Amino acid sequence: MTTTAERPSPVAVTPAIEAHRARARRRPLLPAIGRRALLFCMSVLFLFYVIGPVYWVFASSVQSEADLVSVPPNWIPKDVTLQNFEGIFFYDDRAVTYENRRVGDPATGAFIPSAAQNLLPSLYNSLYVGTWVAILNIVLSITAAYAIARIHFRGRRQTLYLILVTRVIPDIALVVPLFLVMRNFLGIINTKEALITTYLAVTVPFTVFILINYFESIPADLDRAARVDGCSHLQVLYHVFLPIGMPAVVASLMFAFLTSWNEFVLALMMTSTIDSQTLPIVISGFVFDFTTSFSLINAAGVVAIMPPVLLAILFERYIVGGLTAGAVKG
Amino acid sequence: MTSSVLAALQKRFNYDSRSAVILLAPVLIVLAAVTIYPIFYSFYTSLFDINLTRPHRRPFVGFGNYLQLFDDARFWVAVSRTTVYTVVTVTATAVLALGVALFLNEAFRGRRFLAAMLLVPWATPSIVNGLMWKWIYDPTYGSLNGLLTQLGLIDSYQIWLGDPSKTIYLIAQAAVWKQMPLAAILLLVTMKSIPEDLYRAAKVDGANVFQRFFHITLPALKPGFMLVFVYETMISIRHFDLFAIMTQGGPGDASFTISWQIYIETFRSLKFGTGSALAFILALATFLLSYLFIRMLGQRGADR
Repeated sequence: MTTTAERPSPVAVTPAIEAHRARARRRPLLPAIGRRALLFCMSVLFLFYVIGPVYWVFASSVQSEADLVSVPPNWIPKDVTLQNFEGIFFYDDRAVTYENRRVGDPATGAFIPSAAQNLLPSLYNSLYVGTWVAILNIVLSITAAYAIARIHFRGRRQTLYLILVTRVIPDIALVVPLFLVMRNFLGIINTKEALITTYLAVTVPFTVFILINYFESIPADLDRAARVDGCSHLQVLYHVFLPIGMPAVVASLMFAFLTSWNEFVLALMMTSTIDSQTLPIVISGFVFDFTTSFSLINAAGVVAIMPPVLLAILFERYIVGGLTAGAVKG
Repeated sequence: MTSSVLAALQKRFNYDSRSAVILLAPVLIVLAAVTIYPIFYSFYTSLFDINLTRPHRRPFVGFGNYLQLFDDARFWVAVSRTTVYTVVTVTATAVLALGVALFLNEAFRGRRFLAAMLLVPWATPSIVNGLMWKWIYDPTYGSLNGLLTQLGLIDSYQIWLGDPSKTIYLIAQAAVWKQMPLAAILLLVTMKSIPEDLYRAAKVDGANVFQRFFHITLPALKPGFMLVFVYETMISIRHFDLFAIMTQGGPGDASFTISWQIYIETFRSLKFGTGSALAFILALATFLLSYLFIRMLGQRGADR
């Protein structure tokens, strides 16, 4: 960043020169001629592939079933309608009763299947579980990561291996024993607490890994000084590592929330009541039910995709920093 | 009495050891309850012939479940489907991610916006990913058919997921869409850590774009690729969500993978022993492959 300042320059460095130098400093792998055109084309292709499919889910969610099944597809929705979202969020107003049973018709998409009423409770469950997983995950992981990164005790490498190697086991292999643990020992099967506990097993190893990588980049003098001044390990953690490690902590919070929000297999097996089912379970029910209209499935998809995508874009810097904490060192 | 025990412990272990134990205890207790105990229980289960349709007789069969699997033609179908899926997904993810990382490593306007958009597929729940591509691939109303027809690439609407010769590749495509961003981000970060001087020196020596790419960029990306290969293989080899939502193992056995077989054996046939044995084979394969990649590509990777 400061290379130009260090070198004495015969001419005054104007912003234009500075900008040119900034460009020149980066290594151009592509030849200069046609570079702009090529980059533009690639940007369009990139956006088409990365965002296109999600755009299509959004576009499908605001069309009526009749518009949606047209050939060729309406790439830009003809009549934007929110009826699919109304069905999800105001199910009670749209419920099929004996009186209005013939008003709706599956073929036109005006009919809202009764499964739609489950979406709102499951949305709440997903938020609840995700929030608690995010909080408990960081509380558990940060103490463990601190201990492994900074306290020199016998077997710290082995402890790290033990924590990391648990992720080798496929989640689906854990389902049956976990089900028994939750039912027989803890008695919390079919509860949100069961999901929270289970998800910690998924998120904690990765979070510990991220935090250790981050903590190891903090100069050792810092905590040594604090220790010499009489801080306990817990105080060092709270007063030194927590503030400095904030980016990694935020990344871990996001990561845990997203993992919990997106998880499917474990939730599928551990929950069978609407009090505990999360969004992916209810949505998969939509997909398996062939009478559900495509527009409603897509609306449900939009509901599920919005929170994680918005969080990811809002906290992009932290997430990228956290996910790649260990990448550079290899 | 407790105080004397505490005093004895204090004498035996110094402050650091005691702190470490206290700080690590919560994590270890949680992991013991929700992964370590289940793993052992699962292995124990795999040694018995447990069939919930016959709940009171569960004879010990040793490694009988494993041997029986090796004789089962369906198991080998599952192995081949899983192999194809994993190889295709990991390779495509790595190649595409390398392209995207090289592209985003260039300086141009809008680069930051594109980099942020990269997180959209990453954050998309796999269930939504599945329903999204299922809808795009839909044989009668899908946008893939619509697009390809409008572009004149196909004459009539095609069956996509329902065509057994295409199924696994189309599911892999959906997986790549979601997994590519993380791989690209990892490679991009590794790329940014390559010292500028290397490129300048190479230029002075007259190396062209391709020589610079093959002799500087690619070798320097080794640690990044190691992470990508380990991570993507671990994800792909046991992937379940997309198979569940898109094809349920079908059509026929076109997407019958090991993870799907575990699900079928455990929850449809209620043969818990066979399901656990399969899960163990899968875990072992995952472990060996990760180890292999770390050994092949890691520098100090071995101690991670």
